[in-house]
This record gives sequence, structure tokens and C-alpha cells, in this order.
Amino acid sequence: MALFRRKQPDAAQEKKKKLPLRQVWQNNLFALRLIWRAAPLYFIFYFLSTILYAIVDFLSGAFLLRLIVNNVQSGSPPAQIAAYIVGIVGANLLINILSSYMWNVKLVGDYHRIEASIRQMMFDQAQRVELACYERPEFYDKYVRAMDGANDHVRQVMYTLDGLIWRVTGLIGNSILIFTIDPVFIAFAAIPLLLGFLRKKNNKNKHDCDTDLKPYNRRKSYIRRTFYLADYAKEMRQTGMYLRLLEDLRENLDEFKRIHRKYSLRRAVYELIMKLGTQVVTVLGATLYATFRALVSGSMLLGDCLVVISSIGDISNALDDFVVKLAEFHEHALYLEDMRTFLSHEPAIAENPDGDMPKGGTIELKNVTFRYEGADTDALTDVSLTVRPGERIALVGHNGSGKTTLVKLLLHLYEPTAGDITLDGRDWRDFNLTGWRRQFSTVFQDYRSFSFTVAQNVLLRPTADPDADRALVEQSLRESGAWEKVETLDHGIDTVLTREFDDKGAVLSGGESQKISLARVFAEPERPFVLLDEPSSALDPIAEHRMFENMMRATAGRSVVFISHRLSSATTADRIYMMEKGRVIETGTHAELMAQNGKYADMFRKQAENYVGA
Amino acid sequence: MDNKTPKQPLKTVFSNNIFIIGKVWRLMPSYIILTVCEGIMWGIINSAESLVFYTIFNALDAGEPFSRLAALIGMISLFYLVTGALDKLYWVILNPVIKQTLHYRMHRELFQRAQSLDLACYDDPQFYNDFVFAMDEADSRAIKVVDEVGKLINRFVASGTLFTLLFTIDPLVAALILLVSALSTVVWLWGNKLTFKAQEERKPLDRKSSYINRTFHLADYAKEIRTSRAGELLTAEYSETVEKRISVERKYAWKFFAVNTLVNGMGRVLQLATLLLMFFKLIAGTVQLGGFAAAVNTIWRVRWFFFDICQRIARFPEHALYIEKYRKFLCTEPTIKPGETPVPDTFESLELRHVSFAYPAGADGEPKETLHDVSLTIRRGDKIALVGYNGAGKTTLIKLIMRLYDPTAGQILYNGIDIRTLDLDDYRRKIGTVFQDFKLFAASIAENVLCEAYTDDREADVRRALDAADFTGKLDSLEEGFHTHLTREFRKDGTNLSGGESQKIAIARVFARPYDVIIMDEPSAALDPLAEYALNHNILDRCADSTVIFISHRLSTTRMAGHIYMLADGRITEEGSHEALMARGGKYAEMFNTQAKNYIREVQPA
Repeated sequence: MALFRRKQPDAAQEKKKKLPLRQVWQNNLFALRLIWRAAPLYFIFYFLSTILYAIVDFLSGAFLLRLIVNNVQSGSPPAQIAAYIVGIVGANLLINILSSYMWNVKLVGDYHRIEASIRQMMFDQAQRVELACYERPEFYDKYVRAMDGANDHVRQVMYTLDGLIWRVTGLIGNSILIFTIDPVFIAFAAIPLLLGFLRKKNNKNKHDCDTDLKPYNRRKSYIRRTFYLADYAKEMRQTGMYLRLLEDLRENLDEFKRIHRKYSLRRAVYELIMKLGTQVVTVLGATLYATFRALVSGSMLLGDCLVVISSIGDISNALDDFVVKLAEFHEHALYLEDMRTFLSHEPAIAENPDGDMPKGGTIELKNVTFRYEGADTDALTDVSLTVRPGERIALVGHNGSGKTTLVKLLLHLYEPTAGDITLDGRDWRDFNLTGWRRQFSTVFQDYRSFSFTVAQNVLLRPTADPDADRALVEQSLRESGAWEKVETLDHGIDTVLTREFDDKGAVLSGGESQKISLARVFAEPERPFVLLDEPSSALDPIAEHRMFENMMRATAGRSVVFISHRLSSATTADRIYMMEKGRVIETGTHAELMAQNGKYADMFRKQAENYVGA
Repeated sequence: MDNKTPKQPLKTVFSNNIFIIGKVWRLMPSYIILTVCEGIMWGIINSAESLVFYTIFNALDAGEPFSRLAALIGMISLFYLVTGALDKLYWVILNPVIKQTLHYRMHRELFQRAQSLDLACYDDPQFYNDFVFAMDEADSRAIKVVDEVGKLINRFVASGTLFTLLFTIDPLVAALILLVSALSTVVWLWGNKLTFKAQEERKPLDRKSSYINRTFHLADYAKEIRTSRAGELLTAEYSETVEKRISVERKYAWKFFAVNTLVNGMGRVLQLATLLLMFFKLIAGTVQLGGFAAAVNTIWRVRWFFFDICQRIARFPEHALYIEKYRKFLCTEPTIKPGETPVPDTFESLELRHVSFAYPAGADGEPKETLHDVSLTIRRGDKIALVGYNGAGKTTLIKLIMRLYDPTAGQILYNGIDIRTLDLDDYRRKIGTVFQDFKLFAASIAENVLCEAYTDDREADVRRALDAADFTGKLDSLEEGFHTHLTREFRKDGTNLSGGESQKIAIARVFARPYDVIIMDEPSAALDPLAEYALNHNILDRCADSTVIFISHRLSTTRMAGHIYMLADGRITEEGSHEALMARGGKYAEMFNTQAKNYIREVQPA
């Protein structure tokens, strides 16, 4: 339930949708089919064991009691009853042993297999959907991030169905028994159902209360974070901010009390009435009626009396639970609907399986315009750019001028709004998408280290030939300048990075991890293009200089497109594209642009001023 | 948490749990009192149900008049009504407020504690982990322990009464249930140990699997996964994790089967024995119908209560483990102790005298000296710069000046007085710093600038500071001006500022109050060259009379400083004005030239 709510962050979405019955049915079936496919035996036995249990439970419970008492009262031969007792308890034991064997031994891996098959399906789709899906907040919150709970939600369907089967089997047995004794008791058992409207009211009350409490909880956790995150520690010590936050915390508690007061009394009353409905009206009412029939009208056997009194509460609870369980299917369906929408999402940038594998050449952008979804202005306007084999291209300009967007476009992570992109004159859509992307070695500005070994981080692929790969990794790390550091790590290139799941993992500084991600470029010499988005931002000047020279030497023969704030590194480029507000405003070599005396020259001089003396 | 859960002696388990109960007792006595009452009440309710059953059937069997039974049932209804109302009063109305208030009171204490903690504690991963745990778990653990105690009281009362009832019906059945419960507890304890062991083995695998899952749905990794073959790598690793998890399960399969079958089998034997025994007694007439029904009905409940008591007691060591961390945290004394002397009114000088510093040794052994024998003096109005490569010790030096750490050797003197003898809060507030990794709070712009609660008489300060930081342009575009709430952390109408704008807010902080010393720790890191250029000049203009320490590895920024200190490997290797250092031709000159090379080559001829 908690998970379910989390996926609807906005007030607008807070209102529960209603799904048509057909869809509820289909979505739940979809989940069951997933489990069935991953582990059929598990699936069958799951429900089979429940039915068996429910039957034995019924037989050894109320049914057995009635049999004993009534037979004693009517004076049947004891041996027969004793045999029956032994038989039922024995059957119960056998089923127990069988299912214990099945769950603990025979089907032991299936639980994980089901999870693996659901996750794998999600992983595959997560890789297929276009990058924009991650940037579209509604899509992301609702579908992508919610995938986290996919496994649980699929399983929930099975649990609910299982509970339903358990309830129905028990109900059928008990109801028939009670019905044969006196149909009036069924009416007693059904009384709590009449209070269904109260449950609805109570649920709404709870839901409203939770909604109102959301800001309270968010604020609470925020304040806590500011106190324990190292990021804030310096500011908190140096300033009086912490006093304000403590005050905030107290006000927040008052806010909680206010909201709680608004809802709690009503909730207490609803719940009390519902509880008394079952406890007093059904159980005690039926008891009164049964004793009346046994004592006053004398028309009831004691065994029947016993059965009624001991099982009427169960029947009533079962009926009630039955209704709740049915409603759960609707909730599952809502969640599964999101999951199915995600799974059936056709990527806007789809794989082209019949496309040719590109092998490098001249990439050309012709009058490319691009606008992010939901943005008011174009991120790129009418950009034309050419990258020939072996060229060094520099993209320069202010923050937000569109440099990084251009890099992402080259990788075909987005589709341009207008304009063409070609490789040796052929439209890029003619090529295989994965193949297109794998022409590029890329270091992003916001590069990520994975929580794997250094070697895996450099290769970023499963290894085929361990020895050759180790040599390649070492070579690449040397080129990127990370080797000195990696050498000092406990397990060298086999050291796991970050402590995400390994407490002995190495935590590297920004500059060091940047060098490791740079090594990726050298580990893929077969890729004809290199894209570098501020590869040296975390490095000091000397390290930057060394890295840059290495880079140029080691990538000889490959085309390099790089972005840098520091114009000093652009001076050796074959061509510089100066960008401003999504447009290319100046193009040429450093000398040409300086001679042009435009914005580039202005920017360059300002940066140089302090080095040279104005 | 650690991969391995340590063993702890029984005494610690006991004392930690007592400690937390004592803590709750002091902070929120009503919670403890109500919990005990609630436990007893439920104990009575639970036993009443069986007693009612017993009484009604005996009455039926004996053929008592209906009116007596009806009266009995009426009384029970009343009992349910009263206890039901009390139960809802407690759980629905009182308990949530108690819990939140306890949360507040415990956290207020924790926060004050955290605030006085040495910054060094944040660098020690082991301590930090425990600290975060203490914060996260403190109140929820306390609540768990108290509720657990309430449940235990309930179980003891209920099982005690029911057992007595069984004993009066038939001592043999009572003896049987004791025997079976004891035996199955032994088996269960063994099973519990196995479960724990299996969990420990699975823990790293579970962590890995959830990490891989995360990488696929976090936007952070999306680009890398699309452009490299990382997806294949992750999938392969995932499959391997699944296989490993399954093999852990396999290892324990037969053992779990045995535990399960034994516990279950004993239960069935108990059931069979009771049924047969009571059946023959019923035939023989030595037991009444009420006794028969009550025995059959109660035996499961008693067994369940016994079982539940074991399970709950077995959870206390786990609680103790968490409480231990909380306790340790509360007992941590800060090593940076505030002094007594008030800070002098007028600032004259700040002097570092032979200062050395080493961060406390991490898990990997030797403490490494970060600063070695550093001496420098700053007088009022000076503009100095600290330059050097990454990791040379620049930021550490700043942290020492702010007394976030104390030097391992040497002294820092303020107007000639050792800063360790000065009032700590006062001293820290004499120094305004723009941190490299500054943080904005989810509060209004004004509060973010002042770093304390805003009152109307501070308006001029806020305006002046924002103006000095060149934020006025943006401010005019905001509807609520400097009352605009920053971040959408918990307000939907909050404003998210860009990196550059955020930095301006951070810079405004040092202009909001007069400071003796202003420290700029690479304030231009997030800015592009032109903005950096503008910022540097602006700061210098605004701070004409202030004492300023610049820190940077971009030498273009620091050139403006009157006196430059070059740090390398924790030592001051060169110092002097830019011109003097260039003339010397040392490390500084080399660094400057490397950065300037391409600029000079191109610009000079022009």
C-alpha cells in the first residue's frame, strides 16, 4: 500500500483512477502469467497446497468438534471416532511434510527465479526506452522509478489470489456446515458486511489524513538530513541555522498534532463500530440465539452449538476479508497498468535491426534544431557541424549554450526537431542504432562510476579474453593517468569502486574517478569517434595539461570532439565551434577566430588577462 | 550496516534494552505507563475469550436457565464495548501523538549532540555509519522495544491465565503442552540461528542485486548504459548474483525442512494427544463438555502465546545492537571543546605558528600528515591567497582556521590568543566562509543568506548582501523577492536556482554580516570563465577593507592577492607577491606558466 501511494506524487494524481473491470482482470492475469512462465511448478503447488490446507483445516477444526460432540451425545462407538481423529490429524501432518519439502527443498530457487525473470524484463525495457523518458517527470515518476517495485507487485497478485482461495475454501466448508445446522446463522455472519460503507468512509478518512501528513513527513526527514549529512556539517557549525531548524522541528510537531486531531476521533469511532459489529452483534448474537435454541426450544444438539459459537466469528471475518481481497485486485491492477504501459512503450528512437553497421567516416549535422520536451525555447537552433576522420573539434561557449546537448544528439540519444544528421552522406536512420552509438567513446560531464571493479569500469563490458583485457585495462589506465592511484589500491584493478554494496570498496576523489572514466576512451581504440565533455574539470592545471597531451597522442587517428571551459585547450583544435544560446556563432581555427576579433577572441582575452597582464 | 552482525554478551543485550526504556521513561513517561496498562488489558481480553467459552458450555451442558446465560452474554457485550473503546482511544488517538512527540524529543537531543560533534567524526566512515544509524533508528527502535515489552506483558498475562485454566481442566494436557513447547522452542532456536546465518550470507548478494536494479532506473546511469555495453555487464552480474543467492538457499534447504517438519510434527502430536485424551475423558464422563471444548480451543492459543514469547525475546539482541550505536553516539564527547575567553572586539591578526595536522587514521592504518609545520600571519585588511595542487592541504588549512579541527601540533593565535581558549561559537562567527561545496537550505532566500531566522530589521542586511553578490538581477524576477522559498524539497512552489545563482547566494552570506576574516574556498568552481572573471573583480572591490583569504588552483584568481602562499604536500614551499614568486622561477612559476602557456603564446604577439 505504501509503495502504491508513492508512485502518485502529485496532488492531481492523488485521486484514485477507476479501471474498467475487463482491464482489472487482464492486468491481474498478466501478472499471474509472468509467474507461471518463470516457475510453473511453483505456481501450481502454491495454490494446490493452499486448497489442501484449507480442506484439512476445516476438517480438523469445527467439523471434527461437531462430529465428536454429536457422536458422544448420540452414543456412537468410540473406536470409529478415534480412528477418524487419527486420520484427520495424520493427513494434516502429511500435507505439512509434503509442503515443507516442496518449499524448502524442491522449489527452493524458484522464488529468486521469478524475481530474476521479472527484473530482467524490466532491465531490457529500461535500456530500450529513449533517454527523454528519464527526463519527462510524469513518465519517470510513474513508470521508470516505480519499476523498482515491479517484483513485489507482481507477487502481490499471487498472494491476494492465494488468500482468496484460502478464504473461499474455508467459507464453503463452514457455510455448508452452518447452513445445514440453521440458515439463520448465515445472516448473523453477514451482518458486518452491512458495515461496508463504514469501511469505505474510514479508508477515505485515512487516505485524506495521509495526504495531509505528507508535507509533515517530508519536512521531518529533510530536517534530519541537514543534521546528519556531512555536506551541511560545516554550515551548521559556523552559523545559527541549526537553531532555526530546531524551531522548525517543533513547529512541525504542532502541525502534526493539528492534523491528527482533525481525523483521529472519527477514525476511532468508525473502527470501534466495525469491531463491535463483528464481536458483539455477530458472535455474541449468534451465541445468544444458539443457547436459546439449545436451552429453550431444545431443538439444537450441543455439538452444533459448539460449532456455531466457535466458527461464526471466523466465517464473519472470512466474509469481510473476502470483500477486502477482491478490492485488492483493483489496486494491483492500477499498479500493473503502469508497469504494462512502461513495458509496451515503443521507444521514439527505436533500434533499426536491419540497418547497416556504421564504421566511422564523416559525420555531418545540417541545420539541426532541437528542443527538449516541454521546453519553451530551442536548445539548439540551426546548427551545422562537420567532423571528418582524425579531426580535433572543440566546442566552446558559456554554460547553457548547448554544447552538452550537441554531444547527446551526436550519440542519437535524442532525435533532432529539424535538420539532418548524416554519416558519409547517408542518413543516420539507415544505420543500426546500437552500432551508431558504439562508434563513440564518450566521457560525460556527469560521468558515473559503477560499483564494480576498476577493470570492469574501464571496459564496461563482459570480458571475453581475461588476459588480453587485463593488459588493455592497465594500458588504458596508464594513458589516462589513473594508474599511479590504481596501483596503490589493495586489489589493483580488481578493487571494487564505491561502497554501494561492498564495505571494502575504494572511495576515490573526483579527479581520480574522472581519470578512470577517461581510461574508457583508451580501452576502446576501435571506436572511431571520441566525445569528451569537460574531461578535466576536476583536475588541477598540471594534471589537466598532462592529460590533454596524452589524450591527443593516444587518440591519434580518431576523431575527437571536446568541450572545455578553459579556452587554452581549444587553441590546438582543427576547428572551434563557438556557441551561444544554442547557435554556432563563430567557426574556425584559433588563429582565424582571434583574427575575426569576435566573441571568442573577447572571451579568450578575458581569461588570459590575469596570466599575461592586461 | 556491517556485513557481519557481531555477537554480544547477554549483559549488554539486557543493559542496552534497559537503557532505551529508561530513556523513554525520562522523555515520555506517559508512553511507558500506557503501554503497561494496554498490555495488561489485552492479557485480560485474551483470556476472557476462552473463559467465556468454558463458562457457556458448562452452563449449556448443565442445562442452566436461559436467562442466566443471556445475562452473562450481556455482561460480556458490555466488557467488549468498554475495552474496545479504550483500545481505540489508545491506539488511534493517543499513540500516534505519543510517537511523534517522542520522535521530536529524541531528535532534539540528537541534533544538539550532532551539532557539537567534531567534524572529524564525519570523516570516520565507521563512526559516521553508526551516527546515521543512530539518527535513523533511534526513535523507531525505542518504540519497537517499548511496544515489544507491552506485547510481552500481554502474552504473559494471557498465557498464564489460560495455562491455569487448562491445568484445572486436565493437568496432563497442561503438562503435555509445556513439554511440547519446550521441545519445539529448542528446535526453533536452532532454526532461528540457521535463518540468521543464511541471511548474513545473503546480505551482500541482496545489496548487490538492489544496486544493479537501481542503476537501471536511475537517470544518472541512463546515458552510460545507452552508449556503452554496461547493460550487458550489469545483466551478467545480476544473473550471477541470482545464482549465488539460490545456491545459498540450497545449502540450507534440508536443514530448514527438518526444522519445519519437527516443529509442525510436534504440534500435530500435541493436537492428536489432546483430542484423544479429552475424547476418552468425555466418554468416560470425567470431563464436562465445557472443559472439552475449552481444552481443544485453548491448547492452540497457549502454544501460540508461548511461541510468540520466544520469538519476541529472541528479537531483543537485535534491538540491543542498534541501541548500542545510539548509546555510543550519545556518549561521544567532542574533542574540540569551547574555551572560556570572550573573543576580542577588534581583529588585529591571525597567526599560524608551526601548525601540523593529520586526519585521524582511517580503517586502512597510518594517519597521514596533511599539514606540516605551517606558519603564516594575516593582519587586518590583508588579501592573501593559498594556492597549490589538489590535495596539497589548502582546504584543511581553512578548516583548522575555522576550528573545525584542532592542529595536532602548533598553535593558531587570534590577536595573539590561542583560539582553543576562545569561546567557540563566538570565534566561528567571526569568520565568513564561502565553501567550495556550499549547501543551500530549504528555506527562504533571506534565511539562506543570513543563515538564521529572518526578522524584519534584517532587511537592509539581506538586500546589501544580495546586491554585493550580484544577485539583484535575479531577485527582481522573483515574485516574492527574498522571501522566495528555495528548493522544492517540501514546497511545491519552491524555486530551484541554477548552479551559478546558488553560488551567488552562498557568496552573499559573507556580506550579510561584518566578519573579521572572509574565506573564499574556490568560489568560482561552478562558473564559466566570464562569470569567474566578473566575480573575482567584484569580490575584490567589495572587500577593500576586509581581510580575505582566497583559495584556488586557478592561478588567474589568486594573482590579485597581495601575498601568495604556495602549498605542496602540506608545507608552504614558496610565498611572496605574484611578481616575486614569478621572478623566483620555482614551483609557482611553473604552475602559472603551464596554465598560461597557451594564452601567452597566442595573446602576446597580438
